[in-house]
Amino acid sequence: MSFDLWTLGFQAVNVLVLIWLLQRFFWTPVAAMIVARQESAQKMLDSAAAERAKAKAESAEITATRAGIQDERRAILDAARAEAEAARDLLLQDARAAAQVLQDTAKAARVRAAETLKQTAIAEAQGLAVTIAGRLMARLDGAGTDAAFLGWLAEGLATLSDMDRKALAGATITVVCAKEADNDAQARITETIAGALGTTPDLTFRTDPDLIAGLELHAPHVTLRNSWRADLDRIAAALADKDAESDAA
Amino acid sequence: MDSPLLSEPLFLLGPVPIMVSVVVTWAIMVALGLVALLTCRLTQVPSRVQAAAELLVITVDSQIRDVTGAAPAPYRAFIGTLFVFILIANWSSLIPGIDPPTATMETPAALALIVFLSIIFFGIQGGGLGGFLRGFARPNPVMIPLNMLESLTRTFSMFVRLFGNVMSGVFVIAIVGSLAALLVPIPLMALDLLTGAVQAYIFAILSIVFITSAVEKGKPPPEKES
Repeated sequence: MSFDLWTLGFQAVNVLVLIWLLQRFFWTPVAAMIVARQESAQKMLDSAAAERAKAKAESAEITATRAGIQDERRAILDAARAEAEAARDLLLQDARAAAQVLQDTAKAARVRAAETLKQTAIAEAQGLAVTIAGRLMARLDGAGTDAAFLGWLAEGLATLSDMDRKALAGATITVVCAKEADNDAQARITETIAGALGTTPDLTFRTDPDLIAGLELHAPHVTLRNSWRADLDRIAAALADKDAESDAA
Repeated sequence: MDSPLLSEPLFLLGPVPIMVSVVVTWAIMVALGLVALLTCRLTQVPSRVQAAAELLVITVDSQIRDVTGAAPAPYRAFIGTLFVFILIANWSSLIPGIDPPTATMETPAALALIVFLSIIFFGIQGGGLGGFLRGFARPNPVMIPLNMLESLTRTFSMFVRLFGNVMSGVFVIAIVGSLAALLVPIPLMALDLLTGAVQAYIFAILSIVFITSAVEKGKPPPEKES
């Protein structure tokens, strides 16, 4: 058994030198690199966490923006809907007014047409009545008819007021006959008028076939109508008044 | 067969004998230095060599942190170098014609001596000289002689354990090899690998345990809550 102190010293120094060498060139640099990598990884994790937080914030902002867009879209749609409804109401109102105008116009046109038609019918009826009256007159006895009209003339003069009769007596009276009055007829007419007025007025005779039958007296202030034309006119006026009353009702 | 307890000088440097174990230790130092040079170009994206080096550092740090409960940086180089050197020295027996330095008494004794001194160093660094010396008086001053004797014997036991295990393994392999040189020693050599790794681990762990004990004993005791 041997134990060499020189070798003990050599080995102790060798191990110490080896410890120093490895500490200088191995343990410390490698540990520092590990720490650096851990710090780098931590930085990357922190950066990733920050990026994640930033992304979350941006996502929340986008969500809020989307909600705002939705609200704005809803408001625009509501405004457009209200505007469309207002325009529709305005159009309906205009259309109703136009329809009312058209209805009024059509009603007025219909009334005018009915009035025109009625006037036409009345005129045609008058014409027809004149025609019928003319044909009837042609078949009647002329002398009897003249006598009847002379009688009705006397009754008409009798119904006049005294002031009218005086006015007729002092004026020049135009006697309008439906047919040409011969001397005998003029004499009977003059006699009838003089009998009714009490004096013989100044008479002039004229012929108007439109009277159909009968005779009329025309003075400056008094007119006495005694003919079928006058009768037809009165009938037509009465019918017109009746129609007016029914339209007003 | 030479006695494993005898070591002959390889050559003489004047009056100083240079043993084989010293030369092998120098070779191991050169090899470890080259490995350290290989890992000097450190990058954020590690190569395979750098990844292996970082794995070794992380493992040593983890063991130190588990034992001490403190930051591993002050002990990393000392404990890590002890482990790596003893491991490589033990496994150097696999090279034909090379006797491991730890199979001679001088190398384990030198390692044990360094550990003994490091216990004193770290104990004084942790609690001061007074604190370190007061650590021998715990739990009471009667224990001072026993604690001092323990500090010597536990270090001596580390020396004997390492030397005995490695030397015996080499001796057994040599005996078996002399009887049946082909293939038969291989299982024993594999077992010697395991023994060498275990002994390196035990030596390093015991070192940090003793250092931690000295540091903890040097600190003032916590005040009892009233």
